[in-house]
Amino acid sequence: MDQTHATSPLAGAVHDLATEVVLALRSGDHLATVCGAAGIDEENRTGIAAARVIGADLLLPSVLYGRHPHPGDVAVLDRAVREFPPKPDAPAATAWSHWHMISTLQRMAPPAPGTTAPAPGAYAEPDAAWLEEAPWQAFTHQLSVLAPLAVPAAPSAVQRAAANRAVDLSRGFVRAVRRRDWLQAAGAGRWLAAIGGEPATLGLERGLDFVELMGGDDPRVSLHVRAARLMAEARAR
Amino acid sequence: MSSGTTSGIRQIHDVGAKALGWLYEHREGFRLEADPSPEAGMLDRFKPLGELALIGKVIFREGVAGSQQSSLAHKLLDHAWHELLGSGTRLLEGQRREPLSPVPLEVYVPFRELGYRQPDLESAIRLNHRLASWAALEVLPVRRLGLSAIERRFGVEPSVPETAALAHTWLARRPEPWTVEGHIGYDITHTVFHLTDWGEKPTGLPADIAEYLALWLPVWLDDWLDLKRWDLLGELLVVDACLPEPTLDPAAWAGFAQAQEPDGAMPVVGGMPEGDEESVFDLVYHPTLVAAFASALAMSRALSDLSADPAPA
Repeated sequence: MDQTHATSPLAGAVHDLATEVVLALRSGDHLATVCGAAGIDEENRTGIAAARVIGADLLLPSVLYGRHPHPGDVAVLDRAVREFPPKPDAPAATAWSHWHMISTLQRMAPPAPGTTAPAPGAYAEPDAAWLEEAPWQAFTHQLSVLAPLAVPAAPSAVQRAAANRAVDLSRGFVRAVRRRDWLQAAGAGRWLAAIGGEPATLGLERGLDFVELMGGDDPRVSLHVRAARLMAEARAR
Repeated sequence: MSSGTTSGIRQIHDVGAKALGWLYEHREGFRLEADPSPEAGMLDRFKPLGELALIGKVIFREGVAGSQQSSLAHKLLDHAWHELLGSGTRLLEGQRREPLSPVPLEVYVPFRELGYRQPDLESAIRLNHRLASWAALEVLPVRRLGLSAIERRFGVEPSVPETAALAHTWLARRPEPWTVEGHIGYDITHTVFHLTDWGEKPTGLPADIAEYLALWLPVWLDDWLDLKRWDLLGELLVVDACLPEPTLDPAAWAGFAQAQEPDGAMPVVGGMPEGDEESVFDLVYHPTLVAAFASALAMSRALSDLSADPAPA
C-alpha cells in the first residue's frame, strides 16, 4: 500500500483506491479491477471504509465507459453500503452519497434473480430543498462533496439543483481555485462538465488543467478532473 | 423598501460620511514635501492630490451624499488647490522640472472641470500633446487608457484612441476569472474607473465587460472581504456601483463598515497600522478616500434606482 501521502491507514486506502480509479479511467481497460489492484477485498475493514469514502466512484470507469463492472468492485461497494448506513442524524450530503451508491449498484449491477438485494425503492431520494436555498459558496462546497453524483444518465434532485445553478457553481469554482482548495475546485469543475451551462469566460477546460497541475498530487483531485474531461469529451461528440 | 434595505443604505451612507469627515479633519496630511529626496520622482508626490481631486469631484457632484458631505468635499478640493497646489503654480513647477510627465495633466483635469484654472499649465500641456514622444510614452495599458480618457476630458484628441487603449488592458480580454490576484484586481478597478470617468458615467462600460463583471465580481468581493484587504475591496465596491445592476453586496458592505475605525479611517488591510500621524495618514488616506468614493457612488445608484421604481399600486 502506497502510504507516502497518507496520515492514517484509512487515508492510505482512500489514496490507493482513488489512484486505481484514476488509472482505470486513464487506460479505459474494461478488465480493470479497482479494488483488486488496490489490494482490497470485501473482508478488509479499512478497505471497506475507504470504499465508503470513495463511494459510487468505485464503479466510475464502468459508468463512463459503459461497461460491466468487475464483480470484485461490486462486492466491495455493496459491502460498504451495508456496513456504513447513514445514521439518522447524518448530514444530508452523507444520506445523498449513500443513496447514490445504492442507485449506482442497482443501475450497474442488478442482482441476479433469487439473490438478496435491497428492496426496490427501499431508500428514497433524500431531501434537496436545503441545497436550492444555500448561498453560492456553501452550495458549491456541498456539491463538491457530492461530486460522485456528477455522472451522465443518473438523474437526481442534486443534479437538477446543479443544472439550475451553473453560474453559482462557476463562481464557486473560481472561489475554490483562488483559495487553492483543489479538491473542491475539481469537484465543482466535474459538476460543470456534467451539466454544462457555465459562462464561456470561466475557461473551464484550462481551469481543470490548472487544478490538476496544482493539486494533482491528490488522486481524488485527478479522479474528478479525469471524470470531467471524459464527460466533456462525450458532450462534445 | 424593506427594513433590511433601509439599514443597508444607512450603513453605506455612514461609511462615506465618516470617511469624508476623517479626510477633512486630516486634510493637512495631503502635503507636498518642501524638500523631497532627489531620487523620489518629484511628481510622485502629486499622486494623492490627483486621487483626491478625481474622487472629491465625484462626491461633490453626486450630491446624494448629502449637502454637508458635498460641502466638505468642496472645501477639501479648495484646500488642495489653493493651499497645497498654490492655485496650480506647484503643478506648473512640476511640469517645468519634468516636462514630459503626464502627472500634472492628470491632477489638473478634475480641478479644471470644477472651474479652477492655470493657463500657463494648459499651454505646456497643449505643447506636450503635440509631441510624438508624448504619445510614445511607455506606460502600462491601464495607465494608457487613463491618459487617453484624461486627454479627452481636457479637450484634446487622445493620443491613442480610447478603444485601442482599452483593447490592450487585462479586463478587455475578459480572461479566466480564477487567475485574478491583487495586482490584476487593481488593473480591473482602474480600467473601470477610466471607462466611466471615475463613476460619473456608468454607461461608459461596454456591454461585454459589464456582463463579465456582473458574473465574476461577486467572487472577487467574497475573496477580498475574506482576506480583509479593505483598500481593494473598496475599489471593487466602486466597480459594483458602476454596473448596470449594482448588487450593493450586503456581506461586503457590512464587512467594510465593520473594518472602519470609529473616527472614520479605513485600514488598508486587517487592522489599523501603528506609527506617527504622518506615516499613518500616508498608509490609510487611500482606503479612506476609496471608502468615501464607494459610498457616494453606491448611494447615488441606490437612490436613483429607488426613485426609478414605480410607485406601488
